[in-house]
Amino acid sequence: MKKLITGNEAVAYGALRAGVKVACGYPGTPSTGCLASLLLMDLKDTYVEWSVNEKVAVEIAAGVAWAGHRALCTMKMSGVNVAYDSLISVAYSGCDGGMVIYVADDPGANAGMCEQDTRGFAIMSDMPMLEPKSVAEAYWLTQFAFELSEQIKGPVFLRSVTAIADSQAEVEIEEPAPVSQKPPLLVRDIARYTKAGSVIAMTQHRQLIERLELAEKIIAQAGINQLRLAKEAGLGIIACGVAAAYLEEGFEIAQAYGFRPETASILEIKASHPFPSKEVSQLLDRCPTVLVLEELEAYIEKSVYVMAQKLGYRGRIVGKLDGTLSRIGEYGVKQVVQGISAALKLDLPETLFNAGQEGLKLAAARPITVCAGCPHRGTYMAINQAIKRLKLKKNEVMVTGDIGCTILGMNPPFDTVWNEISMGASVSLAQGYVHAGVQTPVIATIGDSTFFHGGIPGLINAVQHQVNMTLIIMDNRWTAMTGMQVNPGTPCYDGLKGYQQVDIASIVPALGVNHFVIVDPFKLEETSTAIQNALVMPGVKVILARQECAIQAQRRGEKEGVIKITPENCNKCKLCIIVTGCPALSLGSDAIQIDPELCYGCGMCVQTCNKEALHKELAA
Amino acid sequence: MNCDIYFTGVGGQGILTIGEVLAETAVSMGIPSNFYPSKGMAQRGGFVKAQLRLGREHVGPNIPPRGADIVVSMEVSESLKALPLIKEGGEFVLLGNVWAPTAVALGKAPYPALEQVKEQIHLAGARLIYIDPAQLPLYQDETVRANLFVLGVLVHLSALKHMFQPSDVERVIRARFSREVESNLFAFRCGLEYSVEEAA
Repeated sequence: MKKLITGNEAVAYGALRAGVKVACGYPGTPSTGCLASLLLMDLKDTYVEWSVNEKVAVEIAAGVAWAGHRALCTMKMSGVNVAYDSLISVAYSGCDGGMVIYVADDPGANAGMCEQDTRGFAIMSDMPMLEPKSVAEAYWLTQFAFELSEQIKGPVFLRSVTAIADSQAEVEIEEPAPVSQKPPLLVRDIARYTKAGSVIAMTQHRQLIERLELAEKIIAQAGINQLRLAKEAGLGIIACGVAAAYLEEGFEIAQAYGFRPETASILEIKASHPFPSKEVSQLLDRCPTVLVLEELEAYIEKSVYVMAQKLGYRGRIVGKLDGTLSRIGEYGVKQVVQGISAALKLDLPETLFNAGQEGLKLAAARPITVCAGCPHRGTYMAINQAIKRLKLKKNEVMVTGDIGCTILGMNPPFDTVWNEISMGASVSLAQGYVHAGVQTPVIATIGDSTFFHGGIPGLINAVQHQVNMTLIIMDNRWTAMTGMQVNPGTPCYDGLKGYQQVDIASIVPALGVNHFVIVDPFKLEETSTAIQNALVMPGVKVILARQECAIQAQRRGEKEGVIKITPENCNKCKLCIIVTGCPALSLGSDAIQIDPELCYGCGMCVQTCNKEALHKELAA
Repeated sequence: MNCDIYFTGVGGQGILTIGEVLAETAVSMGIPSNFYPSKGMAQRGGFVKAQLRLGREHVGPNIPPRGADIVVSMEVSESLKALPLIKEGGEFVLLGNVWAPTAVALGKAPYPALEQVKEQIHLAGARLIYIDPAQLPLYQDETVRANLFVLGVLVHLSALKHMFQPSDVERVIRARFSREVESNLFAFRCGLEYSVEEAA
């Protein structure tokens, strides 16, 4: 069946075609769509879950693979950092069932965070790395990844980038393969499955390297990396992953400036690790100049230099290391043409790819902010109010931030949150500021899913060492920023089943936190008073600001209330807009206006108005 | 024939739907396509872009600078972000909606004038197809969905008319929208009848 699907879905369908028994992961743009699509399907024999974090997910996948079955584990690049402690250990041990780690990198940082090139992790853990150049390739490379994993008996990386993960293209999808029903293996083999002792660890290391060598042979035999040698000794081009998708189009443009595509020898790399030494040596043998096109880090290119040295290659290598191309941002047609032009010394007009820059400067800045009805708005407003009432200035009070929607408090009109590191880091970062001698109150902010993911150890640490700080957990009941996934704290709303809710309100006191308060962030006075009280107390204080994400509530047809305007009371002071920054508010000709479609009725604007122009009527 | 379309606007306008409908139409006709939407981090009101590449069997998701045959913009200021993309001689479809960021609404930040934006499009060497939002028709006393209207204008006035018949697109609209099929078809058909006075 031909179907229009995303790159993420192609991985999901590919895994089903490979008969995957378990799929798990943690949401993270741009990888989320893979597991999300599996969760929407009615799969009888494949178990799918959002795990609490990537490390847990990788360990689950390892258990499945050690028991002889096929497992898919999905995450964004930052998730690999979390999972890596376990992953490198699993790579040492190897596995019996196919184990595929699907990671989506984000060159161009479309979703924020970083331009981490996960290929580096494959090198460090001696794991094969497969990289599709298109949605269709993602489908069949996923299947090959499972085959390869079982043949070498070790885990395999499958890496896409945002442009492929989120692209939609037509793919011929076959029926899912039956999921293996064979009984799970229970192999007791401490030489393979433990690490205690240098003999065990070094033997595993040797076997790991042997597995990678075997992978190189299998990949070469299967012809995964495609080499097309031209008859004449023209330009050699090595293009890795998505960069290869732009060759054809780049050739058309470069042709107009004297490039002859038929003279070029091309190596398309879809398996970047192990390094395809056989194909690269053939290319070096044929071509006096070689251009390397790969997004982000120069991993392939550096290996080409090593190979060139070994072979006594006398030609020229063009890429990042000679300064032609950048380690930053996505690659496309422009980089293909620039690379060819540098390699062949073509004369390109300066304006070929450069226009419209003047006009760009005129565009209005559009800082991202929280949605209308977002409960986090109330929390930021309450933090700001509490700081003000303590007669402190905002630039005197450290408010550490964390990953997810809660970071949006960094932007106007709140300007509340100062920093962001990684999942759960706000809690520990705050402790560092306290130990550094900050005398004013130190606040950490974190979302619910982030707290479960990585915040709990930091809180335990704060309790153990009795650090004077206030943690505000902003619990909107969903993993919202990645598109509303379930987390352990999500209540079992209608239609959700198959799990037991874990309540943050029972976790926090159990960790030894003595001062714990639950507030409703839609109640400004209550919330800001609770924060103000906490800020002047010693020890670890935790405030749980709990109110469901307005987008999710509205999807169930619920509203918090309706906001009514009394126009004759409104003096158009704009205070409500200035303080809340709510997108549902705008200034009309006589009074403030509210977009009834956007408004959730949270009432934060009502609580800023000092002219009684706004009133909240609770939903029935 | 190949056709590369760059979409720009803000979240909540339904601009991605235009791209999805066209991608589905292409697929239904056996035309190769790659549709790459990019929502960034924002919900409603945030910057949204998308790229639709029609006609090439092997194609990367990103349109090269100065490579877009058509730009579709549904927001005045966001149009400017498409300027590095539009081809000289390309078509620039602009629905003149203004979604002012809060700082602009409060008078704290500048926002480009429509005339400035039109001038920049002209300087880029593109043909402007301007749609006045006040011209959006009513369906049962309510303004129709702008995105379906813009889709109609696109299929009627841009180079896409050489690729798609209105009936090809209507089939996809019918299949796609279980609710409000009639109002969406009405908006699309009104777009098909739109005539541009300001084409320059």
